[in-house]
Amino acid sequence: MEIAAAVASGAVAQNARTYHRVTDLRARGEPFTWVLGGALCLGIVMIVGFLLLVLWNGFLTFVPRPVAVVTTTAGKVSAGEVARTDTFRPAPDALAKLAPDAQEKIKKAEGFAGRTLYRIGNFDLYSEDFRWIDDNEIKSTEYPKNIVYVERQEWGPFIGTVKAITLDGKPAEGTDFSAPAVASAYSEALARGKRVREIERDEIGNVNHEVERARLAVRKAELKSGRDSQAYKDAAAHFEQLSVDSRGEYERLTAEVQRLRSINDKFTVTFAEIGGREKTVPMVNIVRAYMPNDLSFAQKVGVYFSRWGEFLISEPREANTEGGVFPAIFGTLAMTLLMVIAVAPFGVMTALYLREYAKQGRLVAFVRISVNNLAGVPSIVYGVFGLGFFAYVIGGSIDQLFYPERLPNPTFGTGGLLWASLTLALLTVPVVIVATEEALAAVPRSMREGSLACGASKWQTIRNIVMPRALPGVMTGIILAMARGAGEVAPLMLVGVVKLAPELPIDGHFPYVHLERSFMHLGFHIFDVGFQSRNSEAGKPMVFVTTVLLITLVAVMNAAAIIIRNRLKRRFVGSQF
Amino acid sequence: MAETTNETGQSFLPQQRRKKTTPRSVIIADKVADWTIRIGGIGVIVAVFGIMVFLAQTVVPLFMGGEVQGSHTLAREESHPALMDVIDEYKTVSVSVAEDGAISAFHIATGTSLTVPPLDFGGRKVMGFNHTLNGRDMAFGFDDGTLRLAKLNMGAVLLEGDLPAGLTKLENGDMTDGSAVYSQAAAGQIRKITVSAVLEAPQQIATQGTALVAVDYRLGGTVERPEKSFVTIDANGIGRLSRSEAKSNMMTGEVTETLTSSELPGLPQGVKVARVLMNTSADAVMVADSEGTIYRYATRNFDAPQLAETVKLLPSGVSLTTMGFLIGEQSIVLGGSDGSLDVYYRLPRREGDKETADGQILVRGKVLERHKKAVVNMDASQRGKLFVTADEGGEVWVRHSTSEQVLLRLKPKDYDGAYKAVALAPRENGVLAIATSGRVFEWDISVPHPETTLKTIFGKVWYEGYSEPTYTWQSSSGTDAFEPKLSLVPLIFGTLKATIYSLLFAVPIALSAAVYTSEFVHPKVRAVVKPVMEMMASLPSVVLGFIVALILAPIVETWIGAVILATFLVPMSWLLGAHLWQLLPNPIALRYGGLPRFGLMFAVLFIAVNLAVTLGPGFERIFFAGDFKQWVNGSIGDSHRFTTLLVLPIAVGLMYFGMERFLPPRFKTWARNPNRTVAGLAEMARWVLTLTVGWGVSAVVASVLIAVGLDPRGGFLDTYVQRNTLIVGFAMGFAVIPIIYTIAEDALNSVPEHLRGASLGCGATQWQTAVLVILPTAMSGVFAGIMVGMGRAVGETMIVVMAAGNTPVLDWNLFNGLRALSANIAVEMPEAVQGGTLYRMLFLAALTLFAITFVVNTLAEMIRQRFRKRAAQL
Repeated sequence: MEIAAAVASGAVAQNARTYHRVTDLRARGEPFTWVLGGALCLGIVMIVGFLLLVLWNGFLTFVPRPVAVVTTTAGKVSAGEVARTDTFRPAPDALAKLAPDAQEKIKKAEGFAGRTLYRIGNFDLYSEDFRWIDDNEIKSTEYPKNIVYVERQEWGPFIGTVKAITLDGKPAEGTDFSAPAVASAYSEALARGKRVREIERDEIGNVNHEVERARLAVRKAELKSGRDSQAYKDAAAHFEQLSVDSRGEYERLTAEVQRLRSINDKFTVTFAEIGGREKTVPMVNIVRAYMPNDLSFAQKVGVYFSRWGEFLISEPREANTEGGVFPAIFGTLAMTLLMVIAVAPFGVMTALYLREYAKQGRLVAFVRISVNNLAGVPSIVYGVFGLGFFAYVIGGSIDQLFYPERLPNPTFGTGGLLWASLTLALLTVPVVIVATEEALAAVPRSMREGSLACGASKWQTIRNIVMPRALPGVMTGIILAMARGAGEVAPLMLVGVVKLAPELPIDGHFPYVHLERSFMHLGFHIFDVGFQSRNSEAGKPMVFVTTVLLITLVAVMNAAAIIIRNRLKRRFVGSQF
Repeated sequence: MAETTNETGQSFLPQQRRKKTTPRSVIIADKVADWTIRIGGIGVIVAVFGIMVFLAQTVVPLFMGGEVQGSHTLAREESHPALMDVIDEYKTVSVSVAEDGAISAFHIATGTSLTVPPLDFGGRKVMGFNHTLNGRDMAFGFDDGTLRLAKLNMGAVLLEGDLPAGLTKLENGDMTDGSAVYSQAAAGQIRKITVSAVLEAPQQIATQGTALVAVDYRLGGTVERPEKSFVTIDANGIGRLSRSEAKSNMMTGEVTETLTSSELPGLPQGVKVARVLMNTSADAVMVADSEGTIYRYATRNFDAPQLAETVKLLPSGVSLTTMGFLIGEQSIVLGGSDGSLDVYYRLPRREGDKETADGQILVRGKVLERHKKAVVNMDASQRGKLFVTADEGGEVWVRHSTSEQVLLRLKPKDYDGAYKAVALAPRENGVLAIATSGRVFEWDISVPHPETTLKTIFGKVWYEGYSEPTYTWQSSSGTDAFEPKLSLVPLIFGTLKATIYSLLFAVPIALSAAVYTSEFVHPKVRAVVKPVMEMMASLPSVVLGFIVALILAPIVETWIGAVILATFLVPMSWLLGAHLWQLLPNPIALRYGGLPRFGLMFAVLFIAVNLAVTLGPGFERIFFAGDFKQWVNGSIGDSHRFTTLLVLPIAVGLMYFGMERFLPPRFKTWARNPNRTVAGLAEMARWVLTLTVGWGVSAVVASVLIAVGLDPRGGFLDTYVQRNTLIVGFAMGFAVIPIIYTIAEDALNSVPEHLRGASLGCGATQWQTAVLVILPTAMSGVFAGIMVGMGRAVGETMIVVMAAGNTPVLDWNLFNGLRALSANIAVEMPEAVQGGTLYRMLFLAALTLFAITFVVNTLAEMIRQRFRKRAAQL
């Protein structure tokens, strides 16, 4: 026994023991061991490298980078941020046009040449956001201090210089953006812009909502008691009245919007791009402007965090490639939360049934294997089921019963938050069942027997003795289910995720929580911006940041699972028999 | 006893009995909990199994064929034999046109006649007749050699407000005023259906008095400038191709029609023309004689039509009884007097086919199920490849060209003589047959999914315009004329391809890593390494897909040479590292055998990758003639060197095996030299020798392989696409490696410690123990891990959607994309109409995935349980 233990205790001990004996070197299998170990190294490098790549890109996206003014040998001048560098093989005809020494250099590098992708912005003037410039073509690169980098509400960033500032229709002195008069005008313009958005979205939205409700009430009365009924006539009269009333309100609001807009139009900044073409931008459209080549460290940090802030709390713009992802964060969290509300009780109930109530036999063993297997069924299959069953069958019936006035527009009869949550609940319920069952199995039988022997009922035993001990395992299961659910995208694409949801699932209109609405999701945001947007290059930084956010979310949940498990384990470790 | 008593038997306390019963609340709580948990638990289990039932239930209608929902016979006084019959969009009114120009329209449900003014033929007799697929445009050829075109209008107007007065009630809320039918539409509106016909002026085509025996007519051009093309055959067998263009004078608004005609050459004297067909673009005309000989004309050049092909399609003794296009005019249906019914396609001529003038040829694409009697009539659907055929025996069959199935076989009980016309309702929901006696038979039918059978989904199907039967997935297109191609085979193939290539990448890495973690590293290292590897599993697959498809794919495309080099160079470097390590004196090797050696493996990996990047271009020049992408599609270079490289690992492996087996013991003793450095050198020499000799052998084998014609290019290596299976395999590796790794490592680790101890105690080395004792014992657990990993790879969606390019192709090319079942569902489901064929097909795809993963996972679970039992017995 001793020897066996010594042998098992590690490689060193074993090798020391056989040191004096002659062992065939091949029996050690050194080369094979290296290949095995190498595979492990490769696996670790893959995962660590992947995470580093994502984190590096994600966290550096918002760092303000200097803007280079590049002059090519052909005399073309471009100003832009370096997006990335690349090596490529120039086509033969392009190669032939280069200078002889450059050709020589490329030939030496086996036909590879370097190039740099500059984000030149000014999409409204250039019709392109990015420009590749070959390293061999560059004559000079400068970093002028007076270049401004302007993030706008429309058309993406502008890179150039400030030409003139107009305040209230009159030209202001100088081009300094931080002058007090300019700064205060800017914040006032922003406030007006905010007010315009408020009116457009909330107040006009409210008016429209009221009118729409009245219209639906008319339709409902018509369906319920026919056109000749009193209810229908009342509803119709109410609708007429409301339409007339709201028209006045609506006109008043639009006039107000018009007034604010016309004021804002008088506060503008005129920029000039590097080639001299000018562009006048209303102040209200400027999200952020800074001098990238003249930033102190503190200012850089300021820009960095203000960008993060915008990302986390504001709404997307420019086809999701800029702005924030707040609706997506909200959607992801809301969906995950709803999913947990659905999955936790049912998963635990099923596990309790399988472990505490059902007769342990072949049938339960079969059910257990099946439940285990369901964890391996592809998520897209659940998506198909969710669409067909939840949205079309159940949702369609709900619409027929409760919302006939809105047909043929579906209310619950299409993808939405509720159906997405239920679909994911179904997808993750095996995870909870398996984890809970294991936790229940780990509670010693003697504790149950003791409790029952003291006269406690079965439910009292489960509630007071079994569940508290099993809780860490249950919590772990639930949190793992959340992590799995938050990272799933494929099924959501079928049951209610959209690229841009006009309204959040929670708002100020009765009944305040709208579970039938489609929603945005971080995972789908990645897919959409990365693959379906106009310019995937422009969206890439956004995708990286969203990726970091999603991975963090999943990682935090996984870590929480581990921590809770450890905490609760410690709390109950003393009470074990 | 719960009572407390003193010695005297008298209670100190007031008489009070303690309750022996359980409180009601506890009982109620217990009962409630009991039932809630039972119902909830069973409910969830049922719900979960319900998924499978629901999927299956949605799929079943695909294979249900058709259904007759009702039928009735109308006995109508019909004195005029009908030429054709048309049903309106809403299946309310049937209109038939008779030989004498009478138009008899009636309400289908009741048979009530509607008055429609007849077409006035002026006493001329119709000898040839044809109409377009929707029956709206007709051409009549007369016995005096004139041709008249006619347009049938069946208008459906939605009326707001009240009905006109004086209507007669029909069935189901339908009403009539004698010439139009009013029926209830949705949302309280009234639909008014009217029928009228317009006859154009006669045009003299053939010489006066020579009858036109066959005609066909297509209306082309624009609404402002219609272009009427028609083809006519007269009684003398002279065919003419004519075109009538209407031009309106800008000044006067007067419309003038100009008629141009040219003669079709090559029709034999006295040919008995049975049918003539022309397509809408008027560039192909087919004249069929009653023996089944087709004279096909290429009429692209209108002034000089060319006889492209003459072919006899029916066996001798069989006469042609019906002929017509299906929608899209690519399929020609030909029915014979023996009941045969074939579908022909006009395809580009292939090598070995008969010579034709225009390089095209009529090919028999489908032989459909025969009728017992001659097929006398047919009508094709306007929205699919569905059509009805009627035979002399009274059978009316509803069939589909793509799936070759007969969906419904209808025969009226009171059939009494030949059919004059059959019609299929435009929405494919009704069939109407008019008999010579004037009886009208009507069937309400439902054929929701005529295009799917097991054969069309899993077998080869000959689609229109294809030169041979294929497995194709192409579910939708803009027009009704498109033939949906719904074979799941390319998708299942895509799933398998992605799975196999990703497992080829993932399994070796995962298993090697698992064996190393379990058997060779210190438990403390293991405690760090294992969670790190498992972290991979929690990465959302959308993130993997994004990084791999958008960041990695372009890099791999540029550096493909280096990537291929690295796959050989990295393992080779580890082997080199191992051989160098063997040279170290024993004490040093022992002292640094743990973590430092592991660190060195990392270092070797980095060096090898760097080297691969540096040497990549050179490698590409030597092995791939300087440009991999051109090399791989076969346009430059030869593949001798690369084939050698592919054969090399196999050759070296065999040689190692052979040396162990057949080498004289004298050579083996080298490695037993007590001086480790000497032994190490000997091993190194042997390795180098094996490699060198192996290279030579591989070169020879490669020459032989290439001489035999086994070039890797064109097989699993072919044209390079940026989003390809290599990329998918790599991304999927991230998803699959941690699963296989965890399960395999658990299995290896749960092998009882005493086995390990016994093996080491008997003098086996760690390597020998791992390979000969631990691995075989844990084999079933390891295998289960691979199965579970496979299950994950089969169902993975986002990675394939993003990185695989999504082209449904059937090839093994590593550098081409694929379309997997899961990706197909994700891409097409949002645009599938609920309850439609595509919707159900996607459910079938989901069911297939469900079945595959369920079977694979159940097998894995069973293997695992067996392994657990065996491990417990050890």
